[in-house]
Amino acid sequence: MRIKLFLPIFLIIVLLFPSCQKESPSNQNRVIVGISADPESLNPLFVLSFEEVNISDQLFLGLVTQKWNDSLGIVESAPMLAKNWNWNKDSTSITINLRKDVSWSDGKPVTVKDVIFSLDMYSDPDVQSRLYGTFENFYVDKNQHVIIDKTFEVLSPYKFIIKLNKKTAPSLFNIDFPIIPEHVYKGINRKNLVTEEKNIKLVTDGAFTLSSWNKNQAIILKTNKESFLYRPGNISELIFKIIPDYNSRLLQLKNGEVDIIDHIRSQDVEAIKNDSKLELKSIKGREYEYAGWNNIDPSAYREDQKIIPNKLFGSAKVREALSYAINKEEILNEFLNGYGDIATGPVAPIFKSAVDTNLKPLSYNPEKAKKILNEEGWKDLNNNGVLEKGNQEFSFVLNIPAGNLLRQFAASIIKNNLKAIGVKISIQTLEPSVFFNYLLDKKINAWIGGWVVPIPITLKPYWYSNFEQFKLNVINYKNSESDSILDKLDKSTTIKERNSLLRKFQRIVYKENPVTFLYWIDNLVAYNNRIKNIEINPLGYLHHSWNWSFKD
Amino acid sequence: MNIDLLKVLLKRVLSSLIIMFLLISFMFVLLRLSPGDPSDKFISPQMSPELAAKVKESFNLNASIASQYESFLINVLQGNFGISYTYRTPVISVIGDYLPFTIIFALLSFIFQISLAFLLALLSVRKLDGFVDRAISKLSLVVYAIPSFVIGISLILVFSVYFRIFPSSGLASFDSASFSFFQKLSDYAGHMVLPLITLSLGGTAVFYKYLRDNMVEIYNKPFVLNLRANGVSERKITVRHIIPNAIGPLISVAGVELGVLFGGALITEVIFSLPGMGRLTINAILSRDYPLVIGCTFVAGMLVIISNFAADLLKTTIDKRLIKDMLN
Repeated sequence: MRIKLFLPIFLIIVLLFPSCQKESPSNQNRVIVGISADPESLNPLFVLSFEEVNISDQLFLGLVTQKWNDSLGIVESAPMLAKNWNWNKDSTSITINLRKDVSWSDGKPVTVKDVIFSLDMYSDPDVQSRLYGTFENFYVDKNQHVIIDKTFEVLSPYKFIIKLNKKTAPSLFNIDFPIIPEHVYKGINRKNLVTEEKNIKLVTDGAFTLSSWNKNQAIILKTNKESFLYRPGNISELIFKIIPDYNSRLLQLKNGEVDIIDHIRSQDVEAIKNDSKLELKSIKGREYEYAGWNNIDPSAYREDQKIIPNKLFGSAKVREALSYAINKEEILNEFLNGYGDIATGPVAPIFKSAVDTNLKPLSYNPEKAKKILNEEGWKDLNNNGVLEKGNQEFSFVLNIPAGNLLRQFAASIIKNNLKAIGVKISIQTLEPSVFFNYLLDKKINAWIGGWVVPIPITLKPYWYSNFEQFKLNVINYKNSESDSILDKLDKSTTIKERNSLLRKFQRIVYKENPVTFLYWIDNLVAYNNRIKNIEINPLGYLHHSWNWSFKD
Repeated sequence: MNIDLLKVLLKRVLSSLIIMFLLISFMFVLLRLSPGDPSDKFISPQMSPELAAKVKESFNLNASIASQYESFLINVLQGNFGISYTYRTPVISVIGDYLPFTIIFALLSFIFQISLAFLLALLSVRKLDGFVDRAISKLSLVVYAIPSFVIGISLILVFSVYFRIFPSSGLASFDSASFSFFQKLSDYAGHMVLPLITLSLGGTAVFYKYLRDNMVEIYNKPFVLNLRANGVSERKITVRHIIPNAIGPLISVAGVELGVLFGGALITEVIFSLPGMGRLTINAILSRDYPLVIGCTFVAGMLVIISNFAADLLKTTIDKRLIKDMLN
């Protein structure tokens, strides 16, 4: 009996023994990045989320790469597949020389054919790529498909000219898209590609190659030793380990099972700082949060597209009062531990030459808020603690998306702040996709939202008065002066001119308070300090990861 | 008896088909009525309204619910659950990636729960109200009351962080592709220990409680006293009489528990980064991936029905009289 019992126990111990050797990155020349979700695709045609784009960028190269210039606060373009380039005099065409030493992972060379094919694919409506509809600076047909004959002039397999639409203001950002191999995709029915791409092996030209992808487990990239970006001694493997739970990610970082994680919560900052093997860096934000006040009456607009100022938030003075009444510093200090900046407008402070530093945040001043509201006719006539104007009581529902702890915290502070000036709010938590859907469909009056400012800075989709064309103007802000600035920005060619227009735009928005800008959020990244040469900047923490190496 | 069994089978198949039809129809209507639009995440800020409208159209959600439902039913009858919006591959193939793990994981957990519960119940009833019995009973209550995420995180802290015995997440090591068969087996086993314990402790406590109470009840029955009086050994009484009689009521509960396990173990899957049906279903719901939600619901429903049916069949092999009950 005892032997019978002992035997299975012995077998279990023997079976488990080898697995007790913990998987640790420190044993190998590899870096393990903890990420929260498995990508849906790594094909540059279809990658959608930040994480997908980040991983795909390690595998596929563009003509140019972006570099962050911290002293000027601007993004600059640097050569990648394009060895050099020349703009013509009026910046409507660019002559590009490609590197001749780049090959696809199947050994075929990267040539002009691949560049032309890539642009053709990205802009083809049948392909349904993630970049479809974004080539307005090129010559396109009525379906937004780039007209290849009109756009490209091939001078040799490694030299070509791209002609851009003369009516627009093109820049190097317009040609910054990952190049895909023509020989892999040319025979495939483009209409079926969206559902069949997963069966096609990824043929890459980047600093890494895809070694394996175990769904929902890990993506293993190996250094491409044939790449011109390869440097002996740098990391040999970059692994993305999928760990959905934040606490598990943090635990594994401390335990040495992963090397890097981002979006560290402020309450964990001290523990990381006290850990001698970890380094904490904050990426100054391109992401801001705001309290959104619907500038128009949403139901009137939904019924017959009538634009009637919102009864509560239609007045710029009222919105200014609300901005004075909200204690942004408290939220920033209490929840974010100061890892962020109070926002004054939609241009992040990191864009040093574009941000208007003369605009100072409206500091917390409930007395001033009360006074403004009083001047606007909002008074507590029945002494119930809530302001009224005519029959209208100043009360509303503040919507927040579920699962966002920062917005939950901010909502409770805002509720108390506004109660103190006689504004009654109730908080409603909506499931994120419902929340976003309600915003797009103009179904809600007030909410806490957030945007990430794209690079290069793009404001039109969020602030232009044509609500039907620019659905992301969810607050329904309407201002002809700011519209004309946004139109001019589309056509401006010099950085100086752009920056001047951007500052002008910020001044208008600052005065009008279409929303209450809350704060720019830093992305806190923690990594094992055995890794060196990590570039942490607003372009992310994986930027140019092929340069990473290990301390001796 | 065989004809009776056949009748039971036919009756069950018919009722299962009706249940499945109602289940997926209910899910279909519920999803269409719930707010949120699956196409929203594919709308880029730079898209013109015409393009955005085209994207929305491509989801074919503009047609009336009745006509959508009609084409949905026709497709389902042909075994086609559609293409997942998120994964852009057929729903069946997406589920095929997640289901094998879930079934293996659920079965292992189920076996673990039943075995451990049995062992503990036997230990308890050896000396009723003794120290061991009281300790196990109290402990099982405590374990049942602790949320599984607390158990999971605690196990990781103890066995992965401090003692470094087991890996804290995932299904296999990064280098497992280069392992030999036995190394792979051991690697998988090592990765499964903590998730299995996390998933199984709660269920073990339930099974233990059922088994212990059933055993105590049977121990007090006159026929056991009779057997003892006739000099039958305690071991023989337990193995031949107590255990078979105690199992009966447990099987129904076990069928339900197995069905629940097949539906996915969301919390355990999230904590230990495991590719199971629970995570797949939740992500599908959150991203409004309608075809995938219905596919997951269908599979989970089928597994619940199958496991309950299996439990019923098992009961009939123990007590043949139950077939008549099932026919009625």
